[in-house]
Amino acid sequence: MSVVVVKDLKKTFVKGFWRKRSVALRGASFAVEPGEIFGFLGPNGAGKTTTLKILMGLIKADGGEALMFGKPCGDPSTRRRVGYLPESPYFYDHLTANELLDMMGALYGIDAATRRARGRVLLERVGIAHAAKRPLRSYSKGMLQRAGLAQALIAEPELVVLDEPMSGLDPIGRREVRDMLADLRTKGTTVLVCTHVLADAVTLCDRVGIVVGGIVRDQGLLSELLSPQILRVDVLIRATDEQRAGLQNRFDDVEFRSTAEGTLASLPSKEPVNGFLAACIGEGSEVLQVTPHKETLESLFIRQAQEGGNS
Amino acid sequence: MSVAWMRISAIAKNTFREASRNRVFAVLVLFCVGMMAFSIVLGRLSVHEEVRVMMDLGLAGMDLVGVVIALFLGVNLLSKELEKKTVYAVLPKPLPRWQFVVGKFLGLSGVMAALILAMSGVLNLFVLFVGGDVTELLLRAEALVMFEMLLVIAIAMFFASFSSPYLSAMFTAGVWMIGRGSAELEALAAGKLADSPARFVIEGLLAVLPDFSLFFVSGAVVESARVSIHETFVPWLFVLSMLGYALLYSFGALAFAAALFQRRDLT
Repeated sequence: MSVVVVKDLKKTFVKGFWRKRSVALRGASFAVEPGEIFGFLGPNGAGKTTTLKILMGLIKADGGEALMFGKPCGDPSTRRRVGYLPESPYFYDHLTANELLDMMGALYGIDAATRRARGRVLLERVGIAHAAKRPLRSYSKGMLQRAGLAQALIAEPELVVLDEPMSGLDPIGRREVRDMLADLRTKGTTVLVCTHVLADAVTLCDRVGIVVGGIVRDQGLLSELLSPQILRVDVLIRATDEQRAGLQNRFDDVEFRSTAEGTLASLPSKEPVNGFLAACIGEGSEVLQVTPHKETLESLFIRQAQEGGNS
Repeated sequence: MSVAWMRISAIAKNTFREASRNRVFAVLVLFCVGMMAFSIVLGRLSVHEEVRVMMDLGLAGMDLVGVVIALFLGVNLLSKELEKKTVYAVLPKPLPRWQFVVGKFLGLSGVMAALILAMSGVLNLFVLFVGGDVTELLLRAEALVMFEMLLVIAIAMFFASFSSPYLSAMFTAGVWMIGRGSAELEALAAGKLADSPARFVIEGLLAVLPDFSLFFVSGAVVESARVSIHETFVPWLFVLSMLGYALLYSFGALAFAAALFQRRDLT
């Protein structure tokens, strides 16, 4: 059974005196399977946070279905099994990290001794144990993000929902969070992570869903979503102007560009590569590097975003 | 401890801690103390009525400052949480929204009770200072002010559950003023407006809204008898019945607040 099922989810916000309508979700559908890290990707305003807020019971959908563990997401019994980190988390800044975890643990109904023990371990794990007794108002953004992760894990949830977990973290912090999420996956915890940092999604996620304009355009394994086809081959050569002119005459469809390291020739496919290399060597140019380019998550993402914008 | 109570007390404890650190309240309490101190001067101007002036002005000041603080505390129920985005971390927990509302009310009531106790303590000291006695009558009047504040908080929370802080403050202040002027409004409806449709509006409002005049009865007529903290005041039974009245109305206001809050989208 899927841990999260979102089916044809719709949400329109009506704001202001003139009841201005803004459609956030137009029928989003996706599913998160047990034990996986699912990346929910999309440009700003695509409907990622709205979807997560519906799942967390903060807002109500106008249509469709949002289930967690087979039950409607508003059910408090399902939320007992879920840890949530909101985007750019803000907590009661008069509290210390110890007090925050104690309060959040109490909201899950965890007894005081367990709250204290788990709190200590978690603060150690997210690297802010040294600041556990300092009020949160003295924390940096990265430290707040770590405190937020700790509170999301206080109930040892089966599903962790993270909205932009890398936001505000330095490279070391990002690496630590990635390791922590990988560790959660090893322990069988399901993770739904919402991000627009594609590099994080590539290194972290088992599967991704791409939401654009309130609709999930694509979802699945990254290897399935990204085309295996080679889109372009870049060949870096060292050539004189004369040699370059000779190559340009023979290969009309190749784009030539001068770079600091030499001349970069972009071939539109892999087929002409052998011929082009032979010509380079024949002309007396030096071949420095050959780089085939497949579709990246970034190009897929941009393609989906553009298609979403056009439709 | 039941899980529901554990959650409610976690919210209440946090609310108490947060609100008690608000410096605005300290300033308002100081204002009230200043008003009490000024009544020493006013008392000197009267002829041997220092204790009377001190008690009357002290209670009035406590009541007024109390209402302002209760209103401010109650209307910020949700707006502050939304503005600071703290609610997004709290409500996704397995916390039914009614428990959040009840926890907030208990926390705010705790702060209010502490403030009223502090102001009462200062008033009692001033009364002793001007040569009076801290009578049981004064304590009953102070208890009534405290119950009134709990009700103001609940009414403010009801309005805050569906409207902006400014509107909530206006509505709550309106309800309080109507409640305070219930005797005058009743007389108006029965007299000048007896033949006007406005009479039914006033009577309807008075029937539905809480009668705040019952919490500040010194100098008023209660059950056909004039009562005053300087002579004969309402008995403890009346004070207890007003606690029941405040709790009953608060329960109703909070039930509506929880139901409205439950339906609200937290965008």
